[in-house]
Amino acid sequence: MVRDLCMFAGFNEDSRIVWFKISYSKGPGSLSVISDFLEKENAFIKFGHIDNITQETGEYSIFTELKKDTDLDELAGKIKELEIVSAVEHGVSEFGMIYSVDFPQNVIGVRGVMSRALTIVDIIKTLNQSVPHAEGLLTLSGLRGGVDAAKYFKSVMPINNSNFASMIAELFRAVGWGILEIDCSPETYEGKIIVKDSFIADVYGRSEQPVCAFMSGYFAGYLTEYFGKNISVREVSCKATGKDVCEYIISLAPSSAVKEYQLRGEIK
Amino acid sequence: MIRQPNVILGNDKLLVTMGRKGEIFGLFYPRRDHAQHAEESFACIHTGDRLLWTNDIEWHSSQNYVEDTNIVSTKLYHDSGIKISILDLVHPEVPVLIRRFKVQSQKKISGKFFYFSNLNVGETSKKNSAFCDSDARLLAQYWQNYNIGIYARPEFTEWQIGKAMDTIWWTNSKYDMEDGKLQRNKEDIGNINNAVGWDLDLGAGETNEFVIYIGAASSRSMLYKRMHELSKLPLEHIFEKTREYWVMWLSKKHVLKMPGIEGYNNLRQELFNAYNRALLMLYLLNDHEYGSFVAAPEFDSNFEKCGGYGFCWNRDSSELVLALKRSGYPEYCDRFFKWCIRTQMPDGSWFQRYWLNGDIAPSWGNFDYSTQIDETGSTLHAMDVYYRTLEGLKKVEFLEDVWVSVLRAAEYLMKRTKSGLHESCTDLWETYYGIFTYTSAAIYAGLMGASHLAEENAESGMARRWKKRADFIKQATIDRFWLQEGYFAKGIIHEKLDKTVDASILGAYIPFRMLSPKEPVERDMILFLIENIQKKLSVPINTGYGIKRYENDAYIDGNPWIVTTLWLSAAMFSFVLDLPNGKEGPYAEEVEKLTNEGIKCLSWALEGATSTGLLPEQVDKSSGKPAWAIPLGWSGSLMLDNIILFDKICRRNAGKQE
Repeated sequence: MVRDLCMFAGFNEDSRIVWFKISYSKGPGSLSVISDFLEKENAFIKFGHIDNITQETGEYSIFTELKKDTDLDELAGKIKELEIVSAVEHGVSEFGMIYSVDFPQNVIGVRGVMSRALTIVDIIKTLNQSVPHAEGLLTLSGLRGGVDAAKYFKSVMPINNSNFASMIAELFRAVGWGILEIDCSPETYEGKIIVKDSFIADVYGRSEQPVCAFMSGYFAGYLTEYFGKNISVREVSCKATGKDVCEYIISLAPSSAVKEYQLRGEIK
Repeated sequence: MIRQPNVILGNDKLLVTMGRKGEIFGLFYPRRDHAQHAEESFACIHTGDRLLWTNDIEWHSSQNYVEDTNIVSTKLYHDSGIKISILDLVHPEVPVLIRRFKVQSQKKISGKFFYFSNLNVGETSKKNSAFCDSDARLLAQYWQNYNIGIYARPEFTEWQIGKAMDTIWWTNSKYDMEDGKLQRNKEDIGNINNAVGWDLDLGAGETNEFVIYIGAASSRSMLYKRMHELSKLPLEHIFEKTREYWVMWLSKKHVLKMPGIEGYNNLRQELFNAYNRALLMLYLLNDHEYGSFVAAPEFDSNFEKCGGYGFCWNRDSSELVLALKRSGYPEYCDRFFKWCIRTQMPDGSWFQRYWLNGDIAPSWGNFDYSTQIDETGSTLHAMDVYYRTLEGLKKVEFLEDVWVSVLRAAEYLMKRTKSGLHESCTDLWETYYGIFTYTSAAIYAGLMGASHLAEENAESGMARRWKKRADFIKQATIDRFWLQEGYFAKGIIHEKLDKTVDASILGAYIPFRMLSPKEPVERDMILFLIENIQKKLSVPINTGYGIKRYENDAYIDGNPWIVTTLWLSAAMFSFVLDLPNGKEGPYAEEVEKLTNEGIKCLSWALEGATSTGLLPEQVDKSSGKPAWAIPLGWSGSLMLDNIILFDKICRRNAGKQE
C-alpha cells in the first residue's frame, strides 16, 4: 500500500518539511529514545510510520517541520550516534505540499500511483464522449484489474466465503475508490453491492446514464476469479444520476447465449 | 492501431498483410485499398492451464518467403518447448488464404488449439453479423455483400461468436478461451469476435496439424461453395499450383546476367533475389481490374500519424509501371494509362491521390494552390517514355488512346507555368506550398513528352509550343534555383529562396532529364548534385549510409529513406551509362567511383529490408530496421530500375573485356 506519504496544507517560507528514515534495533523503549531525542532538538514529529523489517530491526520514517537554517546533516549525524540507531537517511520536501519517502509506491503487489479522482474521471468522460462501445471498453478495463486483485489476495492469504467481500471492501476504502457494502451468496452467486461515495460518480457530475462501468467490470473480475465462474455485475443505480448511492446487481452469467442479453432486454 | 507488416501475400482479389509472427494485420478484399476486413486473426494455444497467444512477446520467430513465390513460411518457438510452423498461401484463383499450422511440443500437452479472429467485415465494426454453421463447420461473418468465412481441416470441434467490446464480457471470444473451452454460441450481431478450437493432445515430440481456410466472397452461397470445393483438394496440390503460378509469372521477366561482379561476395545472388521479390511485391500492390497501385498496404487507416498509404498516387504509379515495363511486364503500363485517362480531372490535371477504382481519395490537395502539379508532369512523361518503347500498330493505337488526355494535361501545365516557374502548389513530399525544383523538372519532362507525342501525331504546332515552354521552364529553373554551392535550391517557400538540400532535386536529372550529361556544363552540374546530396543528406546506419529526404526533415524522425537512397544510386548508375566510353573514357575515375558508391547504396537498401526481403519506405536511423510504410511500391520500383541499370553496366564492362 501507499506508505510514508505526507501531505501538508499550507506553505511556510521560514521552514522546510524534512523526513528521516531511521533504521534501529528493537527493544523496550527504542522508539521513545528516538522521539525524545528529536523533541529535544525541536524536531516535532508530524507523521510517523513504523515498519517491522525483522524481529530485531525496524524502520521508522518520520516527517517533521524544521527551520530553514537547521543543519540537516548534523542533525542526521546526531540521530545516527544514538546507540539503537544503525542508519539514517533524510530528505527535504521543498514545497511542503505532498511528499513520499518511498518511490515507487506499491498497491497490492504491483506498482501503484496516486491520482486525483478527476484525472481518472476525465479519461472516462473522454471515452464516453468519443469512443464507440465505451461502456464495454470500460467494463473490460475494470475486469482485468478485479481479476488481478483476487489473484493477489489468494497469493498472500487464505480467501474464503467469509472474507472475500470484506477484502475488496477494505481495498476500495484504502485506495479511496469508495465504501462498499456487499451482500453476495456464494451458493447462488447472486447479490448486491452498494458503493457509497464512488470516486467516479462523485466527481463525474450529473449524468442521465450510470457512469461506473469500470467498477462493474472490476467487481465482475474479482468475483469471477474468486468463484471460478463467470459473474455478471451490472450497475442499476448510480449516484451520478441523482441517487444517494451506486448499486450493482450480481448474478451468474448465462452459460449460453441468451437473446435478452444480446439484444439488451432486461436482465432477469 | 498502427502495425507495420513484415510480409504480404495474396492474389488478384485478396491482399493479406502479416506481422513477423504470422498474425494477420490486414485482409483486403476485393481491392487492395478496400475493404480491410480484419483487425486481428491469429492462433493461440491453451496449455491446460494458460493461454499462449502466438503474437505474444514470449514467442521467437523467423519468417521468409518460399523462394520466388508469395508463399510464406513462419516458424514460432516458445521457451516452454512448443514449436509452430505456419505455411501461408493464397490460392491463385480464389480469394482464400490457406494457413497450415504444425504444432509440436517437447513436452506432453493436453490442451486446446484455438484460432481467434476479430473481424470488421466491410471495414466497420458496426452492423456486422456472424454465425457458425455447425453442420457445415463453417464460421462466417458478413456485412452487406462482404462475406468472410473460416473453415478448417480437421473440422473445428468448438467455437464461439461473442461481443468484442461489451458489458456482457463473458461472451467475448477472447475471454471465453481462457478456461480452455468455448461456449459454442452460434450467432450474434454488432461488434463481434470469434474463435474456433480443437483438442490438442500431444505426446513429447509429437506433431498436430491444422489447416485453416479464411475465404472471402460476395455472397453467402459462393462462400460455402468456395470453401467446400477448396477443402476437397489436397493441400500439396494447392501448394504446387500456387508455387507454379508464381514461378511461371516470374519467368516472363527480363533476364539479368550481371557478368563480372564475382568480387562482391554474394551481391549477384542478393540482387537476383531482390529483383524477384520486388516484382512479386508489385504484383500484390496492383489492382488487376483497374490498373492502379496502392503506394503501400494501408496500416494507418485512421491517419493517426500520417495521411495513409493505401491509395494510388500518379507520381508513384508512373514510376512503378515504367519499372515493370523495363522488367518485362508491359501490360501494367497499358492498364495504368487507361486508368489515367479515366481519372483525369476536368482541368486536365491529376488529383493528389485516388482510390484504386478511380474515385478521388481523402486529400489535403483540393485547391489549385495545394494540388501537386508534378503528378501531372510525371504522368505525361511516363506516357511518352512508354510510347517510345512501342512498335507498329500498338504504337499507333496507344497514341490514339492517350492523345486527348495528353492534350488536356499539357494545356493544364501551360496554364500553370506562364512565367516559366510554376504557380504555387504542394511539393512532392506533400509538406510545403511553393515553387520547387522537382516540380519544375517534372513539368519540363511532361511538356517535352507531350511535345514528342504531338510531333508523332502530326501536331507540329503544338509540339513547338510545348517544347518552347519546356525550354523556358528549364532556363528559369536554372537561373533562379541553381546555387553557386553546386546544387539546386529546394525552391521558393513563403516567397523566399529555400536553399535546403533536398534529395528530390535529383529529379532534374533522373527521371526527368532536364539536365543532360551530353552537355559539358550540365554534366558537371549533375556531378555536383550527386556530391552535395551525398555530403549533406547521408545518415550512417547499418554497414553504410542512407539518404534522408532533406535537411531538417522531421517526418517520422527524419529517417533515411530507401527511395532517396536508391534514387541517388540510380542517378549514379545512369550517369555512368550516359558517359561515352565508360571505364575507358576521360571520366574513367568518376565511372569507377560512382559505380562503387551506387553498389554501396544498393547494398544498404537490401540491408534495410524485412526478413522476408520487402523494402520499406524508410530505415530507422537508430536501429537500422525497416521503418514506416512496408512494403513501399516506389522503393520496389527503384530497386528494379537500379538492378537493371547495374546489369547494363556489368554487361557493358564485360563486353569491353571480351
